[in-house]
Amino acid sequence: MDKNFQEEPFTGIIKFTPPLYKQRYHFVKDLVGKYKPKKVADLGCADCTLLGMLKFCSCIEVLAGLDICASVMKENMHRLSPLPGDYLQPDERPLTVTLHHGSVAHKDPCMLGFDLVTCIELIEHLEESELKKFPEVVFGFMAPSIVVISTPNSEFNPLLRGVTLFRHPDHKFEWSRLQFQSWALEAARCYDYSVEFTGVGHPPTEMKNVGFCTQIAVFVRKYSQTSESAQSETPSEAVYKMVFKAVYPSLKDEKYLQNAVISEVIFTAQIIKRNLLNHLMSEHEEYNDAPTERKSKFQPSMNTFSEDLGKLVVEKSMEPFVDGNMVYIPLTVIFSFPKVNQLCGTFEKLCKLIAGKVTLSSNGSAVMLNTEHENEEN
Amino acid sequence: QQTLPSQPPGRWQPPQPRVPPSVSEQPGGRGRQRGPPGVPQGQDGRRPEGLQISAGFQELSLADRGGHRRDFHDLGLNTRQAIEHVQESKTGSSGVLIKLTANYFRLTSRPQWALYQYHVDYSPEMEARRLRSALLFQHEELIGKTHAFDGSILFLPKKLANKVTEVFSRTRNGEDVKITITLTNELPPTSPTCLQFYNIIFRRLLKMLNLQQIGRNYYNPSDPISVPNHRLMVWPGFTSSILQYEESIMLCTDVSHKVLRSETVLDFMYSLYYQVEEQRFRDACAKELIGLIVLTKYNNKTYRVDDIDWDANPQCTFRKADGSEISYVDYYKRQYNQEISDLNQPVLVSQSKRRRGSMMPGPVVLIPELCFLTGLSEKMRSDFNMMKDLAVHTRMPPEQRQREIGRLIDYIQKDDNVQKELRDWGLSFDSKLLSFTGRVVQAEKILQSGNVFDYNPQFADWSKETRGARLICPKPLDNWLLIYTQRNYGVANTLLQNLFKVTPSMGIRMNKATMIEVDDRTEAYLRVLQQSITPDTNIVVCVLSSSRKDKYDAIKKYLCTDCPIPSQCVVARTLSKPQSVLAIATKIALQMNCKMGGELWSVEIPLKQVMIVGIDCYHDTLSGKQSIAGFVASLNQTMTRWFSRCVVQSRGQELVDGLKACLQTALRDWFKWNKYLPSRIMVYRDGVGDGQLHTLVNYEVPQFLDCLKSVGKDYNPRLTVIVVKKRVNTRFFAQSPGALKNPPPGTVVDVEVTRPEWYDFFIVSQAVRDGCVAPTHYNVIYDTSKLKPDHVQRLTYKLCHMYYNWSGVIRVPAPCQYAHKLAFLVGQSIHREPNLLLSDKLYYL
Repeated sequence: MDKNFQEEPFTGIIKFTPPLYKQRYHFVKDLVGKYKPKKVADLGCADCTLLGMLKFCSCIEVLAGLDICASVMKENMHRLSPLPGDYLQPDERPLTVTLHHGSVAHKDPCMLGFDLVTCIELIEHLEESELKKFPEVVFGFMAPSIVVISTPNSEFNPLLRGVTLFRHPDHKFEWSRLQFQSWALEAARCYDYSVEFTGVGHPPTEMKNVGFCTQIAVFVRKYSQTSESAQSETPSEAVYKMVFKAVYPSLKDEKYLQNAVISEVIFTAQIIKRNLLNHLMSEHEEYNDAPTERKSKFQPSMNTFSEDLGKLVVEKSMEPFVDGNMVYIPLTVIFSFPKVNQLCGTFEKLCKLIAGKVTLSSNGSAVMLNTEHENEEN
Repeated sequence: QQTLPSQPPGRWQPPQPRVPPSVSEQPGGRGRQRGPPGVPQGQDGRRPEGLQISAGFQELSLADRGGHRRDFHDLGLNTRQAIEHVQESKTGSSGVLIKLTANYFRLTSRPQWALYQYHVDYSPEMEARRLRSALLFQHEELIGKTHAFDGSILFLPKKLANKVTEVFSRTRNGEDVKITITLTNELPPTSPTCLQFYNIIFRRLLKMLNLQQIGRNYYNPSDPISVPNHRLMVWPGFTSSILQYEESIMLCTDVSHKVLRSETVLDFMYSLYYQVEEQRFRDACAKELIGLIVLTKYNNKTYRVDDIDWDANPQCTFRKADGSEISYVDYYKRQYNQEISDLNQPVLVSQSKRRRGSMMPGPVVLIPELCFLTGLSEKMRSDFNMMKDLAVHTRMPPEQRQREIGRLIDYIQKDDNVQKELRDWGLSFDSKLLSFTGRVVQAEKILQSGNVFDYNPQFADWSKETRGARLICPKPLDNWLLIYTQRNYGVANTLLQNLFKVTPSMGIRMNKATMIEVDDRTEAYLRVLQQSITPDTNIVVCVLSSSRKDKYDAIKKYLCTDCPIPSQCVVARTLSKPQSVLAIATKIALQMNCKMGGELWSVEIPLKQVMIVGIDCYHDTLSGKQSIAGFVASLNQTMTRWFSRCVVQSRGQELVDGLKACLQTALRDWFKWNKYLPSRIMVYRDGVGDGQLHTLVNYEVPQFLDCLKSVGKDYNPRLTVIVVKKRVNTRFFAQSPGALKNPPPGTVVDVEVTRPEWYDFFIVSQAVRDGCVAPTHYNVIYDTSKLKPDHVQRLTYKLCHMYYNWSGVIRVPAPCQYAHKLAFLVGQSIHREPNLLLSDKLYYL
């Protein structure tokens, strides 16, 4: 017996765990995990729940939502804004999220170039005239490599309590498996896609023949991406209205990369400086009446420090040193720290990014820090 | 989607006469309320009256953070109505007028404006709030696009055609639901409910402006200031609150800076690991992290770290709401696509304060790798250089601050969506800062042994003027100890020589100290103290080689409890600069004199037979276990001598019992000194948090009264209780030709920005060198003194002159600062009540 539903024998009420809508979203998420699309559009995004889940998928760089109702999007769109954490540690990948107000019966160039288009519980809300235009807009015009369409399976309805005609008053129709499959196969044939059928929400074992509660069709484009036949003909005018746009901070953006690098460089330099001064101080203390508690405090950090350096610095001459009240930390030392290295990639890039932002020695080869303020308080 | 006929199909039960949560008119609000007749108004009895909407709505708007739900503005507490002599007027009169502006903007509404409050019922009952909203808004054509809904209470700017409207919606499962929308209230603009509503709407506007909510305030993340030296990020932002003030409803907004750290808790732990030795690592982590607020990476919630669980790790499992077990790694992977790379890290534990029905009770477990640190730790706060680096960005002169504040209003006026939302609700904001007139009361004269000193009121400091003048009561240094380590022999000698230079003019008789050299170990110091202190010892001075806390704590603990002798600790480095050593020796001499029971200066205090009490609290954020209340009370007419005690209370214990005992002993001591009891008692109560006023009024004040009653049948002194608040968002700017300036010390404001239901005022008593001065708020919550407001204000200002550790005017009355000092010393170092033999000296300075 399937795990994800429970049957209560008394009432015959079917309750899905997790709830059916979540199962649909997880289906999409799994699909994203499998195909790793970069650009994903959700048609009929409503309260943006699916988009909110998809923004965490690390392969996605462009995320767009479209809905006919602006207010439902506006009510919930802020959940798609970057979080403080996104600013504090910008991600490697860029991500732009946009929301558009418009109809799937209209073509808008902003929907071009997507890898995956999802239409979760959308088509049954379309009027006949809109449904007619829908395949041309999605498969013909947008022409993404993958399209997911889900819709209620009307054969399942008798098992749902209280459903007389349709599951929702706004539904214009609900299809049987045969109806949906023939519509989908026709669209696939027409626009050169292959299609497979599946679903979520298993029926009770004894009613197996009614099929999934939600039926799902996954379309995969058969022709290759390069033939942009459909898109090139008429670059149509924008008809959707953009209601929301969020550009996530990313290290691909020079501004954030520079901030991250400067912060890492200075922080690294501070660590080296502190260790160096501690080292010097504990050496100094050896000659004095250094109490034992003191010595043990500094010893371990000094050890770890020199071990680290031993691994990282090959040349002896390239070690940090103190001159007067200045500490000089060669950029090569800083560059050898994994985090800095990873951020910059090349030494040249490091130099370029910190130029003018970090105080360097006269020949530009070392970071200069003041030894002052580093007294026993630290 | 259409409204179905309002006759329910047969299977529904008749509508239950559910009692809608009422919003009863509070004494605090001044508006009338026209409750529609026939609608039952009941109490739901859980929250204080007048706050009924807050729970649901604040949840609605604060759900996206770890919000605590408290009434931060102490709404609905009308303390003024019980104070007879300020019914007509609570304003003072003395001083010269000054033109001021403040960081307030008026909120205006259309004439005849009202907010319509509805109660929304579902049949059958629907639990989930989101579902309730979705079902209701299937009827947008009825309700309109402008609305606020928390799941049961609906606010609309318009009146629906019928008092009771019934509509039908259908759930996704095809279930038909009857929704009954009942008008429960027609709220005038000034009703307390409306005020809460304005704040909710205003938060909406800030969100529309793409500001990020962190804690209570909103910040702009797009232009952060980064302070790489300390791995800090500073976000500029705003605090905001809309309240009913004296004359109108206003938005009070101030510039706020959120300090965030661009490292995770795990990063921080790693860098700490390299700084301390292995066996101290866990302690060090606890010390640095517990009490800090962390921000989770994957959503925008903040939590307080209450504990670190070293026995757990991300691979541990927990039980989800649906009963299934899942490990943290899998949970975060599945839910937020967050990879946890370090599987051996401990976990953070936060005792959730939220009591939301649907949330799982109990502590919240957080993964260090997925949490950012926010704010500053105690250690960072005490890092002078860091604070200096930060101040460069956060401290703003008046002109600049006013500009930044104006920017928020600019954003609001210029954003079309925001304007539309405001228009739809029929609200708007003034575009200019509030301006009005304040008063600057006359400067006080400093009296010292027959001399009268004037000082420049602009600087609020008389250290130059009184230098070398004889003290009111100098205490001799006949027999005293000077303890130092071998390395600091020179420093100790310098101190001694300079004390010899500065003390004669003060009138302090001084013998050479008994000089004792010790090893730089805590035990060595303690042994010397045990061996060398005699009953004749006046004071012990210790020169410490570093500001390491353990040594200081041990010395203070010994000398405040086991062996009650005044003591003075000096860090050697303080005396190492030759150019400043004389000035420092002067300060030390004054401080030592106070600690031995000496008196420095006074101001003229016309009020007779009055005992002034100061109370402040210290909360131990680290261990979170103890709170300490410091209590000081004046002993003489000139307010130069103070009695002190403190209350050490463990978590959850009420403060009041301890305070009662304090007041009793204070009165006994007063009697010993004066041979009569005071006829007036004025309590300055500091350390009251936002939203705690209620407790004070209802518990603490009655306890004071009880205590006074217990003294004697005929004893009936007049009592005044004033709540002192330093942390306020109010800022005043003085209009002067050219640029805005800080208002001068002595500026009193008791109009416009005060609250009508309170007897309150602001005083700017101190002067600041840079940045904006913060006024102190005084709220007289109980008063049988019959003193004129002007006299209370003047006395309060006078008391700000009496803090002996600073030859100048401070932010709060001296007794508050003394109480703070005492509580801090006990909370930080001593951890139990000091010996009562010290109680008539300022040993805690």
